[in-house]
Amino acid sequence: MRRPASTPRQTNPAKPTAHALYVAVALALTALCLHLDPQPFVSPVPAATVVPEWVTEVTTVRHPTLVPEITISSFTYRCGDCHDLFPSPPETTRTLTQHSHIALKHGINTRCLNCHHLTTREAFVDDSGGLIPYNRPELLCARCHGPVYRDWLHGVHGRTNKYWDTSKGPQERRKCIECHDPHQPPFPPMAPAPPPNTLRMGDQRLPVDHGDIADPLRVYHRATAADKGPGRGRPGSLGEGPGRGRPGSLGIDAESGVGGENRPSGEAD
Amino acid sequence: MASHSHSLGGPSRRQRVAPASRRWGHRRDAGATVTRRGFIGKGAAVLAGAAGVAAALSPLRHLSPNDIPTAEKFFQKHYKEMTPEDKQAVLERIEREVANRHCAIADVQAHEPLDGVEFLYALNLSRCIGCRKCVFACVKENNCSRGPEIQYIRVLKMEKGSIDVETSDHHYDPSQVPEHDSYYMPVQCHQCANPPCVKVCPVEATWQEPDGITVVDYDWCIGCRYCEAACPYWARRFNFAEPTIPRDELTTDMGYLSNRPRPKGVMEKCTFCLQRTRRGRLPACVEVCPTGSRKFGNVLDPDSEVAYILKHKRVFVFKEDLGTLPRFFYYFDERGSRYHEPIAPVAPGGEA
Amino acid sequence: MKRYFSFLWQCGRISFVGGWRYHTWMTVLTILSLIGLYAYCQQLVHGLVTTGMTDQVSWGLYIANFTFLVGMAAAAAMLVIPVYVYRNMQLYDVVVFGELLAVSVIIMCLMFVTVDLGRPDRFLHMLQRFNFPISMLTWDVLALTGYLLLNLHICGYLIYCSYCGREPSKAFYIPFVFIAIVWAISIHTVTAFLYVGLGGRPFWNSAIIAPRFLASAFAAGPAFIILTLQIVRRYTRHRVNDDSLLTLRRIVQVAMIINAFLLGCEVFTEFYTDSAHSASAHYLFLGLHGRSGLVPWIWTAIVFNLVATVLFVLPASRALRTLNIACILAVLGIWIEKGMGLIIPAFVPTPLGEIVEYVPTAHEIMVCVGIWAFGLLLYTVFVRISVPVLAGELTHEKRYGEPARRVQGVQSS
Repeated sequence: MRRPASTPRQTNPAKPTAHALYVAVALALTALCLHLDPQPFVSPVPAATVVPEWVTEVTTVRHPTLVPEITISSFTYRCGDCHDLFPSPPETTRTLTQHSHIALKHGINTRCLNCHHLTTREAFVDDSGGLIPYNRPELLCARCHGPVYRDWLHGVHGRTNKYWDTSKGPQERRKCIECHDPHQPPFPPMAPAPPPNTLRMGDQRLPVDHGDIADPLRVYHRATAADKGPGRGRPGSLGEGPGRGRPGSLGIDAESGVGGENRPSGEAD
Repeated sequence: MASHSHSLGGPSRRQRVAPASRRWGHRRDAGATVTRRGFIGKGAAVLAGAAGVAAALSPLRHLSPNDIPTAEKFFQKHYKEMTPEDKQAVLERIEREVANRHCAIADVQAHEPLDGVEFLYALNLSRCIGCRKCVFACVKENNCSRGPEIQYIRVLKMEKGSIDVETSDHHYDPSQVPEHDSYYMPVQCHQCANPPCVKVCPVEATWQEPDGITVVDYDWCIGCRYCEAACPYWARRFNFAEPTIPRDELTTDMGYLSNRPRPKGVMEKCTFCLQRTRRGRLPACVEVCPTGSRKFGNVLDPDSEVAYILKHKRVFVFKEDLGTLPRFFYYFDERGSRYHEPIAPVAPGGEA
Repeated sequence: MKRYFSFLWQCGRISFVGGWRYHTWMTVLTILSLIGLYAYCQQLVHGLVTTGMTDQVSWGLYIANFTFLVGMAAAAAMLVIPVYVYRNMQLYDVVVFGELLAVSVIIMCLMFVTVDLGRPDRFLHMLQRFNFPISMLTWDVLALTGYLLLNLHICGYLIYCSYCGREPSKAFYIPFVFIAIVWAISIHTVTAFLYVGLGGRPFWNSAIIAPRFLASAFAAGPAFIILTLQIVRRYTRHRVNDDSLLTLRRIVQVAMIINAFLLGCEVFTEFYTDSAHSASAHYLFLGLHGRSGLVPWIWTAIVFNLVATVLFVLPASRALRTLNIACILAVLGIWIEKGMGLIIPAFVPTPLGEIVEYVPTAHEIMVCVGIWAFGLLLYTVFVRISVPVLAGELTHEKRYGEPARRVQGVQSS
């Protein structure tokens, strides 16, 4: 049998056995190494984020009672218990002697009796001086915040819970004051739930480059930063003097947190 | 001659053969007689080769029994091809698995889409305060893995004046939200009517249901992650490792196509909580949202909230230019957002 | 039939015959393959978490290598076209090496796709519900397996005929050769379409990707074959004349120039337009928001490619040593450009603007090296078999002493 010419450099017949041994040794060493698990898997999975209980709770941010009562040192009084005896003076800019915890920051709505009924303190007052029951605060809010009230009626403003399909189960709607403090209506700021911490995410705290210096938005931010110091880029802080507060659409903002208009207008349907 | 290579044990087979025949060939070739040394050499090479393969395969000893498919799982049909009896058997198998692995009695159902219902989602950018409660309500409801972390919702902190997501911040963590210079844009699966992810799946493991929800059959997905590359909303998640769910946080009301526990190596995604919504309930993210920014309903019902939003609000869809036709709409209130710091009151008389 | 089994047996036998260089080379490749297998077994146990891939960057080295290798496979056509279409007989002797390269490279491709799967145990689902023709991935699977079978048939048939000492019948392989030419173009186009068709990834969503793929494939593939032929002619008796190498050089030359041109077009479009869609290109070439993991890679690739292009164009590369250097630079440059440079930046930033960088893990690299080693092992075996068989040194008659039926000098004598 002729040996097929495999390589030009033929080895002598004794060599192959040596080759076999070398190969065997190399493979055995590999086997040994691999068996020792040279590169064990170390899990890069970070510890699960600890989530506080409140994060997944479905409750509202406020829990008003919707009854005209006040609890003072564990005694509960009806509003009328005092107010029927002591009529309050109409002026509201004075410092309150009672209810001093109430800080009224409701935009231009700065008078208690704009909402509370002058004589029947256990009700609110409507536009014509009539009564709005204490448990229907949305009718009171609707006096100024017409479009929001309209949205709310359609379920578009405010929270909805339980069932979207009311043929299958009850739907829960929330009243204005379950989210908004009527004396300080902006939705209260809250702590955010923890940020994402995904697999092999790396350091994500690097600053974001907001791009071109000629970007009008950058120009605006620089201008306002020079204006206001560290409070960078606050909409509504553009401009100074008597004209401020009317910066067109940009500034019609925050104060009336109930979400509607600052201006009582005839928009309510 | 080499057509047998690309299976799981492919490389090994060749190598197992290699050392053995290497020696035989050589002997015959050299025309030498069978010498003891030659035999020892070849035998040693064969043994060493076999040992090498065995050592290379040795990590498999850590394979969990759960990862080895049983015949029942291996031959399970595609969800759409299952008869009601098949489905029943599969659901019972899943319940058994949940009992074994999570020590919980689960109720697994194959929820069918409702007639005359097409779901639609709307999110009010004027109201969202970026509190991320939706993220974690979703994780809990849908039994998402806590480690590695899988979340269907990503909340983007956007700079006021810009809607460029590239300058958004996903990792904000201030003491309080909202921050004054920002607004917040949560993104999750948009349940596109023209979904790129469904198009690309090579095995039809993901499809769009008649009520508009794109679902994944976790028992069919081969884990190629093509859908993840195709999704323009970064809405799909892959189980790179075995998901972990704390035992006491398991949601036991489960759907086959939605929140049953997933194995590793498959894709998953938001399904608008179909285990809830197909029974008339609202998704978890809608229920938990403290500001009521999230709205959900049946767009075929003209009296629904979402129909009202489409009709009366300023609405936009994210990345509309891609033609994905999302069922997820962002909208604004007409007068802009108002949840930020109060502006200075106008001086009396300054209105005019 | 018996003769066919004797052929297979002889093929198997001869793959283990060789000098110390051959044995060392094969042992090293075997060891590397074993290491890859070891790392892959760990991946099977723990999941793809052993790789550096994340939800943000969901494809990594595996798909990058896959993409590059598809190009290498398509390059076989660059040898076949001159021979069978233009009757350039200088390449006739070496064309089978190109086809064998295609076979081993496609096998590597399929392995890379398999290791990238999260559930390889569900591979059969491909057969049960094949989303054809909607999913481009199914097209790719068809294209790759089809190309594999075509080339297996052509090479297997030619080599077997040579082994039997008979003239191959044209009807049995010429039609397939022409199908394979078209198919070669299609596998690469289809692979490009995998990426091009994704609207959510602007970095890929560009019609130029497919032509760029082809140009780089037709550069890297023949360059690799030049290197192979240099080795073949140094270590075997197979005759490879200078002319065939120089013909290949001309092919690579043109392909490199076209590749550089198309890359230039791409870069111009991205950076002159400078729209929000060029974020990925910014990340790749310049770095984005302080993250610049790919920048050194791509510039290395560009330098390699440019130097290689210049070398190929200069007459200096007629010297074989220079040609080798140019080929190595071209293969490496294109490997980086089509792997790291094309797959990964499309995921950075994510569609939601998050920037998570991708760093391959040791396990991932081990699997890649293992597959490369296994592919080279296969290719070495194929070349090892085909050289003596095609040279007529190993035939059925010579092994088993049956009477010769026909002339022995077959096609490659």
